[in-house]
Order: sequence, then C-alpha cells, then structure tokens
Amino acid sequence: MKERIIIGFDSFVIPFMVGMIFILAYCIIGLVRIICRLEPSDRKRLFISLVTPKTILKNIRDIICDCLLHVKIFRRNLMLGYMHASIAFGWFMLIVIGHIEVWLYTPHRQGLLYYPVFFRYFVKETNHTLKGAFFFFLMDLFLLMVLSGIGIAMFKRIRSSIVGMRRTTRASLTDTIAMYALWAIFPLRLLAESFTAGISGGGFLTKPMYWLFHNFLSKDYHILPTWWAYSIALGIFFFMLPFSRYMHIPTEAVLIVFRNAGIKIRHPRKGYSELQIYSCSSCGICIDACPMVTHKKNIKYSSVYFMRFLRRKNRKKTREIADKCLMCGKCVAICPVGVDSCELKRKFRNADKALPARNYDLLEVSEEKKPAEKDKILYYAGCMTQLTPSIYKSMEKILGAAGADYEFLDREGGICCGRPLLLSGNEEAAAELIRKNTEAIMNSGAGTLLLSCPICYKVFRENYDLKGIRIMHHTVYIDNLIKEGKISVKNSGKNLVYHDPCELGRGSGIYDEPRNTISMIGNLKEAAENRKSSICCGGSLGSLTLSSEDRAAVTKHSLKNLTYMNPEEIITACPLCLKTFGTYSEIPVKDIATAVAGNITCKNKKDKE
Amino acid sequence: MNRKKNILIAGAGPAGLEAAYRLSMMGFSPILVEKEEMPGGHLNKWDRLFPEREAADEILERLLSRVKNDVNIKIFTSSYIEQINELNDSYNVILSTGVTIIAEAVLITTGFDLFNASRKEEYGYGIYERVITNADLESWFKGNGKIPVENPQSIGFVHCVGSRDEKAGNRHCSKVCCVTAVKQAIEIKEIFPHATVYCFYMDLRMFGRHYEDMYLEAQQKHGIRFIRGRVSEVSENKEGRLVVKAEDTLAGKPVKATMDLLVLMAGMTRPASSASLYEQLDLSMDEDGFLRQSDAILNGQSNHRKGIFVAGACTGPKTLPDTIHEADSAAMAIYEYLNRMTV
Repeated sequence: MKERIIIGFDSFVIPFMVGMIFILAYCIIGLVRIICRLEPSDRKRLFISLVTPKTILKNIRDIICDCLLHVKIFRRNLMLGYMHASIAFGWFMLIVIGHIEVWLYTPHRQGLLYYPVFFRYFVKETNHTLKGAFFFFLMDLFLLMVLSGIGIAMFKRIRSSIVGMRRTTRASLTDTIAMYALWAIFPLRLLAESFTAGISGGGFLTKPMYWLFHNFLSKDYHILPTWWAYSIALGIFFFMLPFSRYMHIPTEAVLIVFRNAGIKIRHPRKGYSELQIYSCSSCGICIDACPMVTHKKNIKYSSVYFMRFLRRKNRKKTREIADKCLMCGKCVAICPVGVDSCELKRKFRNADKALPARNYDLLEVSEEKKPAEKDKILYYAGCMTQLTPSIYKSMEKILGAAGADYEFLDREGGICCGRPLLLSGNEEAAAELIRKNTEAIMNSGAGTLLLSCPICYKVFRENYDLKGIRIMHHTVYIDNLIKEGKISVKNSGKNLVYHDPCELGRGSGIYDEPRNTISMIGNLKEAAENRKSSICCGGSLGSLTLSSEDRAAVTKHSLKNLTYMNPEEIITACPLCLKTFGTYSEIPVKDIATAVAGNITCKNKKDKE
Repeated sequence: MNRKKNILIAGAGPAGLEAAYRLSMMGFSPILVEKEEMPGGHLNKWDRLFPEREAADEILERLLSRVKNDVNIKIFTSSYIEQINELNDSYNVILSTGVTIIAEAVLITTGFDLFNASRKEEYGYGIYERVITNADLESWFKGNGKIPVENPQSIGFVHCVGSRDEKAGNRHCSKVCCVTAVKQAIEIKEIFPHATVYCFYMDLRMFGRHYEDMYLEAQQKHGIRFIRGRVSEVSENKEGRLVVKAEDTLAGKPVKATMDLLVLMAGMTRPASSASLYEQLDLSMDEDGFLRQSDAILNGQSNHRKGIFVAGACTGPKTLPDTIHEADSAAMAIYEYLNRMTV
C-alpha cells in the first residue's frame, strides 16, 4: 500500500465536493426546517422516539428493509426489486467499504469526503496480499451489482413490462438529467478504476478491463479525464438531487423515522408533509394500481402526478387530482415508500375551503340516558344502509335468530357518521356530527356498537372517542355468531366471490372474517386482484368530481376483476359497493348479511324456544 | 312494383303498427316482428292515456284493426330477429322461428323498457309490499291484479325514478312521467276521494298542450299536494306503513310522511332485449343507450346505416302522438329511399 499523491488532493475532486457540500447543506437545512415546522407535541414525540430503544430498532430494521433491500418491491416483482436493491445496496456497500479502506489504510485521511470515493486514484494497492485481494474483490463485486441494476434500469426505460409495470411515469426534465447522471456514474467509475488498475491495482473486473484497454490505449492521457468525468457525473447528480425524484433517496430514511415516531399529517404541504412529498420516488407503481386509470387519459389522476404537482406547488392541478381521487387507498397500500397520498389529498381538500355558515339545529339527539348494559348491542345502520333496506332487514333477521338484545339506533332517522364530510375536507362540520353521535351512543348504554357500513366503521374506530364500547362491523359480528354457534347456516353450494370494500379491507384491515363466513354458506372464490389489491367499486364517496362515465368505467373494470373465476354471485360487505355493482353487474350482487340471512337455518331458534 | 318490396319492422308497438299501415298504403309489403305474444307493446298494459284520458284499448284496437285487415301486412309474434345480414341492396333476416326474410329496408321500432325500479333500492320496490310502480298502478286501473292496500289514506307519487339520475346510469329525462304522474294522481284520487295524494317532483315538465291544465286541475279540483324535492329513502314502520323521507326544497326543510301506498314513476330506458339486433346492425347509440339519428331535425327517421330507419321511443323517450308521427315520417323516408328519391 502506498499513497500515490502526497498531498492527497487533485483538482478533479472539486465537482464532486461542490455537489456533496451542496446536497449536505440542503438536506441539513431542510431537516431543520421540517423539525421547526412540526407542532410542539409532534416534535416532542419525535425526540422521544429517537431515544426509545424499541423505535430505534424498528427504524433500523425499516431503513435496511425499505431503503437498502427494497423488500416491498421484491414482493411485488423480483426483477424490479433486484433493480432497486442492487443499485441502493450496492452503492451503499461501495460507500461503506470505501470508508473501511480509508480507515484501514490511510487513517490520517479520514474526514476527507472525497477520499473513499476516489480511493483507487489516490492509493496504490496490490492484490497479492490477502487484505488487498479481499477489498478489490468486494469493491468489484458491488460495482458489478450496481452496474447490473443500472443495466436493468436502462432497459426498463425501453420496456417497462420486464419489471411488471404496464405504465410508468413520464420523467420531467430535471429527472431526466439526474437519471442520465446516475446512469453515467458507475460506468465512469468502472472505466476510471480500470484505467488506473495498472498503477493502483484492481480486482476481477477492473484488472481484465485494464488489460483490454491497455492493448490499444498505450499512453495514460485518458486516465485523468475519466476521473474528472466520474467526479462531474457525481457532482451533477448531487446538484440535481433536490430538483429531481432522486431526492427520495435521502428523504425516505428520514420519513421512516418520522413515521415510526407516530407523527401525523397536519398540513397538505408543510412540515411532515414535505418529507412525504420528497419521499415520492415517482416510480409510478401507483399508476397501474389506480382504479381511475382505466383509460390512458386518466393516468394524470394517479397519485404520482398528485405528488409531483404538489411538490411543484401547482395549485390548480393539485386541486383537480385531489378532488378527483376515489380515496380507495390502493396507491398507499402498495407504495414502496409508504407515501400517504390519500391523507395529503384530504388535507389539501380541507385547506382554505370557504364554507357557508351551517345550521346544526336539525341534529336532534335524545337526552335520555339509559343504564349501561354490557350485552346490549346498538345497531347503527348508517345512511347508506338506510338506502339499501335489504341489508338492515337481513341484519334484523340475523339479530333475531341469534336472540341478541339489540336496539336500532337510527331506525327512525339518524345522523350521518361524518366520514363523507371528513373525506370532502369539511372537518369542522364532521366534528359537529361526531359530537352528536357520540352523545347518542353514550346515552344508549350499549356495550357494542354494530355497523353495517365500512365507511361508518372506519370513522367510528378512528375519529370517535367511545370509551368502553366495542365497535364491530357486521362481517365480524356474523362470523362470531357462526363460530359461537349462535346461528347456524347451510351451505348453498353456490360459487361466491367476495369483494373487499376499500374502507373495510385496506381501510380497517378486515379480510378474513367475511371470507370465513362466505365459505360457510357457499364456495368462496377469489377475485383476480383481492384483499390489499382489491379494486374500488367506483361508487366511492371519496371522489368529489369524478364523472359518471369514469365511475362507470371503474365499476365495469372492478366487476371484470371480480368475475374472473365465473362466480354465481358477488358478495360484498358495503352498501355503497352493493349499490354501485348492482347497476352494472350481470350476476346478482348481495351484501354478506343478506346472503347469510338467506341461508340461516332455524335450528337455533327452536333450541331457544 | 313496390308490392314485391318487403320492409322489416322490428317491434309491433304503436310505432311499428302505424308504420306498417302507412307502408302498406304506399304499396309495400311490411313484415312486423314482435317478441311478445301480442302486438301493441306497452299500450297493452296501459289503461288510459294523457291528457284527455282516452282508453288505451280503443287506441290500440284502431291501430291493430288497420293492420289485421290488411292482407299485405305480415305479422310474426313471439319471435325475434336472430340474425340479420346486409346484402347488396337488402337485408337477409332470420327469425327465431326459423323464418327467413329478404327485406329491402328495415325499420327499428323497438321502443323502450321501463326502468327496473328495484334498482333504486332506497325506494324499496320489491322489498316493501306497498311500494308499486306506475305500470303496476296502471295495470290495476285496467282491472288486473290488486293494489296492496284496501283503502289507502295517504298516497305518494315519486317522480323521476331512474330518470335524471346519474347514479342509476340514466341522465336523461323520460319526458312523459310528469304528466303520467299527474294523470294517475287524479285517477287514484277519484277512486279514493278521501285519500291525501302527494307528488314528489324535481321539476314539473308540463310541456305538451293541455298538460298545464291537468296540473292546475290536479291542484285546484283534486287537492293533490305537490312537494318539490326528491325522496331520499323509504322505510317501513311497525304497522307496515311506509315512512317516506324527502326534502321540501321550497320550504328548505326535510319532510317525513307516513304513507299507505307509494307509486314510483319508473322512467324509460333502452330496450335491453334489442341489444343483439343493435349490435348486429352496428347501430350507434348515444350515452343514454338510445339510438342515434343521422339528422335529428330534418331527417330524424334515418340512421347512418343504409336502408335502416328508426321511429318511436328507440331514439329517446317520446309521447304516443310523437311516436305515431315519427312512424308516419319513417314510412315517407322509406318510400323516398326505395324510389331513390332525394330529400
């Protein structure tokens, strides 16, 4: 080992250093700004999480899995996963090993940011020693890994289908520049290291490359320009980073820390939201997932473009997409970075909305406070179930058959749960409804609140404070009744497909209970895309402006997905899905309650008598 | 010479019957194809017609007698067009009964389907006994079946069921339901003079001659109450009566009324059973599912396809007089086409 340059400096490192210092300063200032913008309670939460061992471990695990290994993308598509992991993990390892080399060989150069990057230029080594051969091998291996990833990335630009993506995002100008810089970095590094391999030594990749080039490049004039090019490519990439999608590389890790600290989105653009915005890698996985993208013209409605316009502060386009979104949450569920674009859209809807003065006098609640009875069930059908009487009639039948002690809260008219208002961004009005409903529910004395509508279910769980009351969706309630033997059902032998309603599945994580029940009353069939990937029915209250033609296209697409196994009936657990599918479906659509009520056997009723 | 020329008429409703009569008068040989056992279409199910309340039977009888007494008109009932192929200057048609026809021109008079009111589940048709449709009520007027309640005290009519309703997939206005509702409200009030009758409407589209008079008569003479606002939902109370919730947009308040009978004014939608015919002929439809006319103002009966003509409600909701006029113009248009005349 020998240092080639005594002063340890060459002017070609300048572009790299300028870019590096720029991006470091940018990131530090950005991070400080974001922390300053946080609500004091959130800031406290963040600092506490940074010293809590459990959260620290979780942070480390998440950062390794998500930022380096890209486990989520691997689960989606092996090729796409390898592409991301090879570049991220390979590059990370090059940096780490570079630093180890500096630490081992030239400890006095520690702290020079450029030294590990251009180590081969500055330090001469031979692969005849075990230590030298080991590092040469490792560095070449990881460089090869990165290069293979870059190769796939280049090919992906031509044919995105090889990584399982039908449609990808259209790159903006800055993205393109940064991308070309990124593509250039590693081939240039390979060339630079290969040219220098004759002097500084090299591994299984760089040494043969050196011999190859040596045959026709006898003079050494090309060595320094190649190092310059490598440094310039790095400099350009770092400089373009804040203006391109690659900003997700440093931001994602910070986002993970903030998210694990339990910080919530409070503003569509500022504070924590800024982390979300810069974490979006513009990968476009959400384009194929978005139910609205049934036609090419609707690509612009997908979350990736929402994030892009939000980042560019294009209010008009951001508003258009925010209002259009069905809020089905599929893009959030499959986002490899975990950007919560739905919540950002909701906050965006909420921002600077001029609302007319409202009159809440019509909201009446009975003042009478009933004694608490733990076993009493309070059934809240909700607006949408009121509009689909087949569901609550079936529920009445099931509750009757189970001999349950129940009260129908909104039989004679009730108050909306508030979720439609929340989704449309009217948080204030929603709070008023929530207050009134809470009063009515607390007055009832019931121990369980039973709901038929997933939209209500989600809001009751997340936005209500109902201490001591168990909140249940009827899918879970019915499943329990069957398991406990309180009702018995016969198997109709029909092929039934289950549609996961967005608010129940992705929204509340209920996937198995309805499936258990359906397998008791028929043969459960699965849709082509199901559970977390289920496709919105198109009737969602989430969208404020989606046209009826576009909605119809979503519904038809979703039906096609459901009927892929040729089921005889579609079973859903949401009155809104039921209604929406009913308009276009060629086969009967039923709520799970109706399907169960139709197959209930009277055995238990007799037992009771 | 024209006698040899067959003209296929798809659908023997009022438009088809009228056109067959006119075409025969012009010397052609019309062939009517009707999927039902009886010709006459929806007229068979109706009791009396607005605005003068003529008996539907009599009108139908007059339409039928002209066709039945004409040896040049052939009529195939209980059959539908299974296959239709374009030849050089004519169409080769195979009926479900196996009959093959070569027709020089085809007239589409497939009419409409009544909107399936059970699709508006919030109104409870098919769930609550006491919710019926305009067609059910008309059939009861005609003496068929019975209404679900002996002596209703309170009766409601819900306008625009499946019309002007994007969520039901129908943005269009069905045109005739407003006046039909007024007519039926008067008729039921005459049968149950002590009942209170409500009409829940969005707008009252009393566009035809004498319609406005009927509307005034309904209010002044019969005391029918008109409430501007849509019905939001219907439920059943413990006595089995209906609880109707609506909005009174004039008073700016929600209203809730208990009723004994609710009549849903189901609108007109495209005829589902004609889908295969439309597809085989490659006829273009508008978003609402009704057939497109090549020139709706001056040449409303022709289609972009050569030798295909359209008349009646298959090109959108229409009143009976309009349908009859269209059938007459279609006959003229076919005459011109077959004699190679230009307009």
